[in-house]
Amino acid sequence: MQHKFDVIVIGAGPAGSSAAYNLAKAGFNVLVIERGRKPGAKSMFGGRVYKAPVEKAFDDLDKAPIHRWVVKERISMVYDEEALTIEYDGRGRHSFTTYLTDLSSWMADKAVSAGAKLVTEVVVDKLLIEDGWVKGIVSGDEKLYADVVVDAEGINRLVLERSGLVEKLRPEHVALGFKEVLKLSKEDVNKFFGLDDDEGLAWVFMGEYTDGLPGGGFLYTNKDSVSLGLVIYLGHAVKELERHVYDLIERVRLSRIFNKYFRDARVMEYSAHMIPADIKALRPKRLVYNGLVIAGDAGGFLLNLGYTYRGVDFAAYTGYLAAKAISEASGDYSLESLSKYERYIDESFVGQDLKRFSGVHDLYENRRLFKEYPMLAINMMRRLFNLEYESTRFKDAFNESRKGVVGLTTLLKDLWGVYRKL
Amino acid sequence: MALNIVVGIKYVPNTTNVNIDPKTGTLVREGVPSVVNPHDLVAVEFALELKDRYGGKVTALSMAPPQARAGLEHVLGMGVDEAILVSDRKFAGADTLATSYVLAKAIEKIGDYDLVVMGHETIDSSTAHIGAQVASWLNLPYIYYVTGLEYRDGYFYVTRELEDRVERYKLSKPSLIAIKMHSRIPRHVRLEYKLRAVLDSPIKVWSNDDLGLDPNCIGLRGSPTVVSKVEFTPKVPRKNIVFEGDIRESVQKLIKALLEEGVL
Repeated sequence: MQHKFDVIVIGAGPAGSSAAYNLAKAGFNVLVIERGRKPGAKSMFGGRVYKAPVEKAFDDLDKAPIHRWVVKERISMVYDEEALTIEYDGRGRHSFTTYLTDLSSWMADKAVSAGAKLVTEVVVDKLLIEDGWVKGIVSGDEKLYADVVVDAEGINRLVLERSGLVEKLRPEHVALGFKEVLKLSKEDVNKFFGLDDDEGLAWVFMGEYTDGLPGGGFLYTNKDSVSLGLVIYLGHAVKELERHVYDLIERVRLSRIFNKYFRDARVMEYSAHMIPADIKALRPKRLVYNGLVIAGDAGGFLLNLGYTYRGVDFAAYTGYLAAKAISEASGDYSLESLSKYERYIDESFVGQDLKRFSGVHDLYENRRLFKEYPMLAINMMRRLFNLEYESTRFKDAFNESRKGVVGLTTLLKDLWGVYRKL
Repeated sequence: MALNIVVGIKYVPNTTNVNIDPKTGTLVREGVPSVVNPHDLVAVEFALELKDRYGGKVTALSMAPPQARAGLEHVLGMGVDEAILVSDRKFAGADTLATSYVLAKAIEKIGDYDLVVMGHETIDSSTAHIGAQVASWLNLPYIYYVTGLEYRDGYFYVTRELEDRVERYKLSKPSLIAIKMHSRIPRHVRLEYKLRAVLDSPIKVWSNDDLGLDPNCIGLRGSPTVVSKVEFTPKVPRKNIVFEGDIRESVQKLIKALLEEGVL
């Protein structure tokens, strides 16, 4: 092909569009190649985006398709259709809910308005590598050259795999997120969850809904719908899960705790997507090569603390850093020159967070967190509050609930583990 | 030998939840994700195969609101050379008569064409009128359910497949054919063609200022069709009756139940 671009960006998700937008603004001739019918067509997330990093990557965030600003956070432990919940009702304007397809379209539109070119429905098969340099991309029998390539293809990084730059994805490295979007009226969302028009709720829960498997659930309120979903760790699920994941999420919707909200709701959408889980294992040996920078999920940039999931903002921010490193390379796209990007990542909140919380993944190996502790918590609440004649002492409720479920030393050890890693 | 081919494209709502405007009886297209009518993709494939074989040019033609550009970009990505979007608020609300009139006039304006290729119907309204009507306006030979075409000595030798027989026709130039669904698998888009669609923007937009048609013949005013009422098939709740036990008795019970329901 006679065309040649300064930069080819693989994928029009939050990472790719952020890189494209910032590079186009800096005067680069950028082409974004997206395999879906439109940007965001292949993207999926739980439902919440943290504002600050996205605001750094994109101007005019106030014009983005924002549904609700999260002011309410709930964390629940669920056992036997009963829940113990902590709620924080704050003023926060730090994160918002939205539909990722709409947000991705907005981000891609920003990139196109800044001068980037976008081609959809085209699959990039692999990187075009000549003499140890990434020179462009290969799609079917076609080649397209560029001075530098940004790989923002997402977690299912087939381009990097086929180009021999990362190992094949393994179930232990990823989680599966799946959700239903349930249609309610705006008034019902407000009424059910105690919210004003532009206020949102983020609710995470752990316990029986994952069949005791490591993972958890989430609920986010959109403008006039609710996203209800689960995350399970695939390494465990492939070995132990005995039912379809859509049955799992349906059971959540039909459970005593949630059904009251969704009795008259219509399921608008069902979707599922892989999520980076074992960040250490997923990080490519290098985030840059001669002529290549890796951003977003493809680099394993996602933080999952159980009570906080951060993917979209990490992706947008790493795309922004990729653009920064490329802009500053002044035409020298060798590994040495681009390795600045790795330094930017490691020094940024993304790198710092992932380092600081690198032990969190080990917590998911502790099954008691998903089975025994929710059970203990609920049993204790039952003893404390479901009174008939005599009232219960707190310590009796605790000790009786604990007995035969988990030893005191184990419990203290687990508590210490959670405290240390979070 | 080269052929100038015009191929008709409709960008249709990709949904089973089709909403009808209760006032006008026309389809509500806003907010519904759209795709190129699958029959038209087969027609595009047919036209591109002819171009591969005989050389020439393929022009896509669509009468639609501006959002149909995405559909035209898709067929440009498949290898169509250029696209014409006939778009004007004055064309809105058209039935098949007014639509076929506008399309025929647009094809006349294109002028230098040998063959018009269409899908034989669309998935949103399934009238199969447009091909026949455009052919009538232009006074062209028209064959539908076409599965093959040979171009020899200035004539088209066309194969038409029906349920029980194959018919062959010899058509003069220019002609209009409608392609049988499933007779071809539409090719995938190519990066090179998609790039051209994005970089060179080969979509021409023609309004009624370009065509200069009588306002009484276009849009809602030029449409004699009146949709008096739309009724959807009622949803019949499932009864979930299971007949168990001896197979002979169960079948007898099933037949009896079906008779009672009035379906046998």
